Amino acid sequence: MPPDTTQSEMPANLSTWKDEEAALLESLEQIESKHGFIPRNIAEEIARVLEVKLERLRKLQIKVESNVRKEVDTLVEKWKDEEGSLILILHEIENQHGYVPREIAMEVSHALGVKLARIYEVLTFYHYFKLKPPGRHNMALCMGTACYLKGASAMLAEAKNQLKVEEGSTTADREWHLDVVRCIGCCGMSPAMVVDGKTYGRLNATDVPRIIALTAQPKAKS
Amino acid sequence: MSKLTYADLEKYSKVFADSGPNWVRVSMDTGGIAAGADTVCDIFEKGVGTLGFPTEVRRVGSLGYSFADPLVEVAREGVPRVIYGRVDDETAHHILQDHLAGRRLLDDHILAWRNRALTFDGPTTFILVKDTSAEKGDKTQFFQFSLAEELKRCNLQDKVQVIRALDMGVYDEGVAVQFLPSRVTYTNVLAPDVARIVKTSVQGKKIIDDLLYKKPDKQVRVVMRNCGKFDPENFQDCLRYGIYQGLVRVLRTMKPEDVIAEMKTSGLRGRGGAGFPTWLKWKITREVPRSNKYIICNGDEGDPGAYMDRSVLEGDPHSVLEGLIIAAYAIGAVRGYFYIRAEYPLAVRRVEKAIVEARAAGLLGENILGSGFSFDAKVRLGAGAFVCGEETALIASIEGKRGSPSPRPPYPSERGLFGRPTAINNVETLAAVPAILVRGGAWYAQHGVEKSKGTKVFAVTGKVRNPQLVEVPLGVTLRDIVFDLCGGVFGSKTIKAVQTGGPSGGVIPEHLLETKVSYESLQELGSIMGSGGMIVMDQDDSMVEVSRFYLRFCVDESCGKCAPCRIGGYQMLQILNRLARGRGEKGDIERIRAISKAMQKASLCGLGQTAPNPVLSALRYFEPEFKAYLEGGVSYARKMSANRPAEPAAAEPVNA
Repeated sequence: MPPDTTQSEMPANLSTWKDEEAALLESLEQIESKHGFIPRNIAEEIARVLEVKLERLRKLQIKVESNVRKEVDTLVEKWKDEEGSLILILHEIENQHGYVPREIAMEVSHALGVKLARIYEVLTFYHYFKLKPPGRHNMALCMGTACYLKGASAMLAEAKNQLKVEEGSTTADREWHLDVVRCIGCCGMSPAMVVDGKTYGRLNATDVPRIIALTAQPKAKS
Repeated sequence: MSKLTYADLEKYSKVFADSGPNWVRVSMDTGGIAAGADTVCDIFEKGVGTLGFPTEVRRVGSLGYSFADPLVEVAREGVPRVIYGRVDDETAHHILQDHLAGRRLLDDHILAWRNRALTFDGPTTFILVKDTSAEKGDKTQFFQFSLAEELKRCNLQDKVQVIRALDMGVYDEGVAVQFLPSRVTYTNVLAPDVARIVKTSVQGKKIIDDLLYKKPDKQVRVVMRNCGKFDPENFQDCLRYGIYQGLVRVLRTMKPEDVIAEMKTSGLRGRGGAGFPTWLKWKITREVPRSNKYIICNGDEGDPGAYMDRSVLEGDPHSVLEGLIIAAYAIGAVRGYFYIRAEYPLAVRRVEKAIVEARAAGLLGENILGSGFSFDAKVRLGAGAFVCGEETALIASIEGKRGSPSPRPPYPSERGLFGRPTAINNVETLAAVPAILVRGGAWYAQHGVEKSKGTKVFAVTGKVRNPQLVEVPLGVTLRDIVFDLCGGVFGSKTIKAVQTGGPSGGVIPEHLLETKVSYESLQELGSIMGSGGMIVMDQDDSMVEVSRFYLRFCVDESCGKCAPCRIGGYQMLQILNRLARGRGEKGDIERIRAISKAMQKASLCGLGQTAPNPVLSALRYFEPEFKAYLEGGVSYARKMSANRPAEPAAAEPVNA
């Protein structure tokens, strides 16, 4: 994660809480509730800003993160009798967080007694698992054959242009994540895309800005 | 639900399943929901309460007419049953008010029936009309008007209503009309015919032979027999429609060997693409003298452009489960897995629900239906790897590993999942099994041609007028499928080729469309049947671009285990990339052929062995186009291939 996003992740009024243990705990909880865990770089940043030793932060972090541990433990418990359970556990984590955070992967490695390398071997093999957090909105553009023939490339170009982002990556403000996916099984309505779980079909390039605006709108109101 | 017995199942299947004279069925598959079926269904569910007569609203699987999603089938006493397509919220309200309450049909939304009649069996109450030759149906309104006027002249305007249809199921046949409820269809109707249609056919109930459309519907629905009929999430409904009757017959009266013999009679071959005889696969697995065998349903439909497995899993999960249980009985398996793409959450949910219901009813678990046979099934999710459709890779994936294929032999039938003998069958194969066991192998074998028996579902998409799922007996021609059933090419373009078999298949050019579809015939043409995706390409599609698209897919999806696939695919893609940019080098075409040969011979699994197919078949039929790219550059090649000036808005090449 680049440092600029780390900055934006930091609780805004951090410096006013300075060095009060309760406040520190609260800020960690905030981050935890957002991510489901506390990313290391953010923890380091907090430690730097507050001039606290990382170890002290780490102690608090474990307190906060006991949820993560509990979550992983329940998952492992749930699937422990199942042969070849690793992928099932990863599926649940992916569905819950939208990606598989490294901290959780480490926890899974602990709990299952499987080497982290083996978990990453599986994670990196399958397209479904993501290693980076998704954006606030996610656009998955179908590039199946039917969609491809009917102009999905032009739609992709338009989406890249509109969102100012390359395929497979997230905008700097984490608002949008653009993905190109294999067939989503809606070939009857090609070209199609999925935005935040909603499928749009029978599109052309000019529909892309409209859908982006439509999706972004609720946020503008709030 | 408590455990069922044979008697219960029999009782259920005898209760007639239809739900009174008034009902609405909304197709709720992924495609339908994407098109808005959810809100449409809500409107019906809220609206029927105010109608004042009982009307049942059912959420059903897809009928397959994807081009017209969302689909709604409506029955109302006194009005012929019709299917509405492209139903938005407003149309749904209109159906409630006009059709259900007012007993009038709606313009511009009805799909005419494909099972057309040849005689009138009663008075006509509605006439559907559409100009099938014009893309926009410009003469439709004129004919609607003149038919209505003629009816008024004969004082029939209160008895017969003329409705503009959305789709007639016949194409390029001039103005077509269908009489409801008899479903007699006339085509190539001209203005002078209007008077005699009303006089002879509406008043006299006689057929006008020179207008009658006599071609029978080419579709035969076996795998999709239940899709669109009942709510797949309503277990009792499923039982009423006779699901699990095949299992009853098997457990009650047949030994595993008998099941295999029946399957042999049916001639069913694997519908996943390779076409290995299903009975033989079961027999081999059965004969391995080891315990704890597994059966797997392969629902990892990775081929872009194919979605029949999704539709079947979503529309009729219990039949697939029934097929799996029967297969398990035949091979002696104790446990089974559904391996389904995680990208199909609805299919996953419905199959999981089906398993839970079946287990509660005693159709899964210990001592099924008191027969002494025990078997249980679970769902496992794929995670977006095309190679996992390959048997050994799929097994590795279920085991929780990377989905890398391993060399065969040993075949999965000897050493498969967790080292035990395993049979893997495709969704479509398993969905056909119960039908075969209820109606007999001989019944199934009467469809199809000599070596390829039965029916196959195809997903016809791409530049086709009506992209949809069709189920046809093997042996029909590609032209029948693309033109007669799906309406030919979209817009006023000409067809260039049909691609079958996805990234492992190849293109079939226009002049070979008379080919009868079977495993062997497609293989001879350098393509394969594959899972049943059929992509129509028109004159604008560059074959170099298309083969590059497929090859890039395979390169992306290569697991990287063996060198021919990993390196060969990549190098070939580099050549195609530069060719497509007009920077081809001398000898490139020969190089492509050489690399292809190496990949076909030396790759470890099917993915690598078949990855060159799309390129090779494109080269086989469209070599001049490749040469044009090589010699004259991009714009020259486009001009050549389309035989007309290149379009300025050509698709932009995507970075690999």
